[in-house]
Amino acid sequence: MSGVSDAVERVSTNDVRERLRNASASMVPLVAIFVVALAVPVFSNDYWVLIASRTAIYWLLVGALNLVVGFAGQLAIGYVAILTLGAYVTTILSAGNVSPPVPPVIALAIAGVAGSVFGVIVGLPALRLRTFYFAISTFGFATIVTQIALAWQSVTGGGIGLPGPEFPAPFDTRSGFYFLCLGCAAVCTWMTANVAHSRFGRALVAIRDAEVAAEAAGISKAKLLVMVFVFTGAAAAMAGGLFASLQTYITPDAFTFDLSILFFISILIGGRGSILGPMLGTIILTLLPEFAAPLAAWSTFLYACLLLGVVLAVPGGIAALLDFRNRKPLDQHRAIVPRADVISEVLRPSQMKESLTLSDIVLSFGGVRAVDGVDLDIRPAQIHGLIGPNGSGKTTILNIISGYYRPQSGEVTVGGETLPAGRPATRAALGIARTFQTPRIIGEASVIENVMIGGTINGCGTFAEALLMLPRGRRDEAMLRQMGLLVLRSVGLDSLADVRADRLQHSELRFVEIARALMSQPAFILLDEPAAGLAPDEIRRLGELIREIVRRGVGVLLVEHHADLIFDICHQVTVLNLGRVLAAGTPAEIRVHKEVVSAYLGG
Amino acid sequence: MRISAAEPLLDVRGLNSGYGKIVVLHGVDINVHKGEVVALLGPNGAGKTTLLRAISGLLPWNAGSVHFGGRDLSGVGPRESARAGLAHVIEGHRIFTQQSVTDNLLLAAYDVSQHERMVRVEEALSYFPEIAAKRREPGSSLSGGQQQMLAVAQGLVRRPKLLMLDEPSAGLSPVLVDRVLTVVARLRETGTAVLLVEQLIEKALAVADRVYALARGTVVLEAGAAEVGLAGRLENAYFGTRVTEFSAAM
Amino acid sequence: MIGSILASGLAVGAVYALIGVTYNTMFSASRVISFTAGMLGMLGGVFGSLFILRLGLPVPVGFVLTMGCCALVGVITEFVAVRPVLKSLDQHLYVLSTLALSLMIQQLVATEWSTEPQRFPRLFDIGSGLLDEKFWLPIVACAVGMGALDLLYRHTLVGKAFLAIAEDNFAARALGLPERNLRIASYALAAIIGAFAGFAGGELLLAFVANGALLNFYGFVPVALGGLGSNRGAVVAGLALGIYQQAANFVVGGIFASVAVFAIFIILLLAAPQGLFGAPAVRRV
Repeated sequence: MSGVSDAVERVSTNDVRERLRNASASMVPLVAIFVVALAVPVFSNDYWVLIASRTAIYWLLVGALNLVVGFAGQLAIGYVAILTLGAYVTTILSAGNVSPPVPPVIALAIAGVAGSVFGVIVGLPALRLRTFYFAISTFGFATIVTQIALAWQSVTGGGIGLPGPEFPAPFDTRSGFYFLCLGCAAVCTWMTANVAHSRFGRALVAIRDAEVAAEAAGISKAKLLVMVFVFTGAAAAMAGGLFASLQTYITPDAFTFDLSILFFISILIGGRGSILGPMLGTIILTLLPEFAAPLAAWSTFLYACLLLGVVLAVPGGIAALLDFRNRKPLDQHRAIVPRADVISEVLRPSQMKESLTLSDIVLSFGGVRAVDGVDLDIRPAQIHGLIGPNGSGKTTILNIISGYYRPQSGEVTVGGETLPAGRPATRAALGIARTFQTPRIIGEASVIENVMIGGTINGCGTFAEALLMLPRGRRDEAMLRQMGLLVLRSVGLDSLADVRADRLQHSELRFVEIARALMSQPAFILLDEPAAGLAPDEIRRLGELIREIVRRGVGVLLVEHHADLIFDICHQVTVLNLGRVLAAGTPAEIRVHKEVVSAYLGG
Repeated sequence: MRISAAEPLLDVRGLNSGYGKIVVLHGVDINVHKGEVVALLGPNGAGKTTLLRAISGLLPWNAGSVHFGGRDLSGVGPRESARAGLAHVIEGHRIFTQQSVTDNLLLAAYDVSQHERMVRVEEALSYFPEIAAKRREPGSSLSGGQQQMLAVAQGLVRRPKLLMLDEPSAGLSPVLVDRVLTVVARLRETGTAVLLVEQLIEKALAVADRVYALARGTVVLEAGAAEVGLAGRLENAYFGTRVTEFSAAM
Repeated sequence: MIGSILASGLAVGAVYALIGVTYNTMFSASRVISFTAGMLGMLGGVFGSLFILRLGLPVPVGFVLTMGCCALVGVITEFVAVRPVLKSLDQHLYVLSTLALSLMIQQLVATEWSTEPQRFPRLFDIGSGLLDEKFWLPIVACAVGMGALDLLYRHTLVGKAFLAIAEDNFAARALGLPERNLRIASYALAAIIGAFAGFAGGELLLAFVANGALLNFYGFVPVALGGLGSNRGAVVAGLALGIYQQAANFVVGGIFASVAVFAIFIILLLAAPQGLFGAPAVRRV
């Protein structure tokens, strides 16, 4: 037990220095832009201060929206709805139309709360609807809000509009107001950067690019998205309040769909999963129309061209263009050399003494019985092989254990407790981890970020703590990163820790998946054809790695086609055919079992 | 272009192919001569389906060569390879269930000139009287076995020089399997070559002239179908180099 | 009043239904839901007005030119916004590429044509009052369009090939069907359907650039509720939507009518994400 913390500490001092270097490197451009922004009132006239204020307000919204669109990948194209809401709430409260006048700063805060609530309402359909449908639903919300603003004349002034709120000194001058906007934008940027570099940020990207793997790692899409919607809604509504003040007079006309498009496209041109990219995107798109009158008239056309260009040519956006670190060529002749001995430092000895048992599982798809009454017993500290011809139900069994499929009868139990069916996100906490037949990796993220996703449930800090970079959040980060490096060392990929995952070869990605599975300190690991596509010596090393994992008390279920590997390392083997157990026993027994050979060879 | 009797109709050399980053075929060499039936055997994951898809052009390949009737098939898609006389019946009897039997066959005859189409359709149906009786019914009303027969009939509509069948027996009862394989034997008589991927070794050997075994993306065995001790050699090829007492008992 | 609601409701509903069919046709060919469907409806009206009113061409010529220009736009959509993203595994890219293209079309029309609604020519000058041409023309167009599509799919080999591509794209390819050409042809066909809807609905909706975004939404509601890929569902849901919208217009007034439509749409969609007639999608893991 002490071995784990000792090893972690050994890694820590060097790594902390490197981590600080990396973190500061990524923050430098952001800070630089804000420093330059501070100088704007000094070096230019009122008009440019106005433009800069507008840019800052837009960035306040876009920076937060980035978490929804860029990180979580939800295509919320109608977010101007919340800007509108925030603008009107702030304006109405400070003007005193329906209540005694409220000081603008308080009104802004109240607008933020309203924005959070509305942000959750607008965002919730994302949990039920597919991409295009969700995009259209946000478009619908945007239109509803504008229509209500037009119709509710007594409160909103209808088409005539209302005068915007005026903030008290020192924010009542152009420059003063500008610094207020800049300050809000800076705080928001700091918070989103904190989230981005926390387990929540990684979890968001996991939901976007590898949802199935995210669930297996215990990430709950609903809970995470709701927290993000609350934050983003608040920021967008406050941006609305500031916007109303900037405009000095608001009408429903000011909140066009074009504005929504601007926000949305800034993020995509900037690059998903980045903070700097969308910031540059927002600055460019907001400033561009200022430089030439034709650009102003054709601004939406231009934004659309840029979006099309990004989608077709540089899907990673500006962030991809600025990613110099990933241009360095990788060693062509690199080999994967797992260090099985490191496993004892990575995995605590498993306390699990009970088996993972499947009892009489039946599952049909349409009219076909994919699994027809299967019993299986995976014991701790043993490797259980699961083999059978294509279509015999092997992967279906894995998916049932993992909780993606709900069996029609039968149950999966661990030590007498039934695992909830159809709820894959519960498995990680119950000590079950897995790999997939086709590696489910986030291509844009680095190898170590992919691995750290496996340990998401190990963190204790809340979303709020990550937002504000409070100590518990920071400790989580350090712990996850250190453990990630250790785990990568054990599978032999630590030299590639900071490389973008999509640059790795297929065989390396298989080991990354194993590393990710180890992060959650599982009691059982399900491996789905880990040897597929591996060279013979890699298969041998894989076998050693699995044996070492099992020596720490973990139970392994190994689905494989490579007969060599199965017969080499398994303690028990179950053979499936057409959804039923054909034979079960030790490898020696199976090898000479007449029906097994016959099933494989046909006849 | 005349090809001599010795030159193979289909000549595949050093073929590499896969799906994205996953390389499945590592330098495969096989050939099929005019009028011959060749069986392609191997365990799951060996790459048999991948090989057929690469040959017909459904899947791109990045190294090696494929020649058919003397013609180089690199960069050629399934439409052109079909026009050249190479018919590929994919696995899973994927016919169009929303359309009638006749329509399924007419679609297979899309590239055939209009007045020839019904002639070809009737010709294909003559191999399978069971589905000829159901020619106006939708594909969804056919049983699995009948759908497989329809799929093979689709391949025959083009009067191919080489018919590639991917696991026609999958999910079929033994009677229907025999039915389909009888057609294969009949095709040999008409001079059509057949490349047959199969899981059922005995049945495949009964109808084939030659056999290849594919494992882990390469050819591990090539032999005449009637050779002695073939079954044991196949078992070695499937399960690796380990030999057991069991193979002697087979 | 009921007569008025029915007449205008069925008419506008017929336009929505045909735009829904446009969405479905593009989807069947490529598994892509394209933001250009509503834009094509708008272009049907705009081109019609341009060719017949502004350029003074005879109605049949103007009609053919409108269909032709929109078919071209459909083909461009396939080339620029669909084919390049089909290869990618990233599902969301087609939403962005078709959104970008539709915005470009909208801006071009807004700048070069007009941002205000323009008159659409009177085509046949038959009928008045509730039986005015602007009401029966879209309904007839919808019936004619659906009939023509049925003929195409059931009695021509090309139509059957379209159905084959929609049912099982891979099997169609393996069979040797010219999958790429068929997809391009599908997009041209879809564009013509959309243009037909916009042209027939021109007197009702006028030649107005804002119709693009409106039809994008109101044309998608029938698809979402009727089930993606189901033309019959789109027609039923489209007509129902049209009547519901016009009824809401009369009862609560214009602005809240659209609120009513949006609210119903979102509620129904959340209750049945695959559509009221669609089948639930099983997630493949």
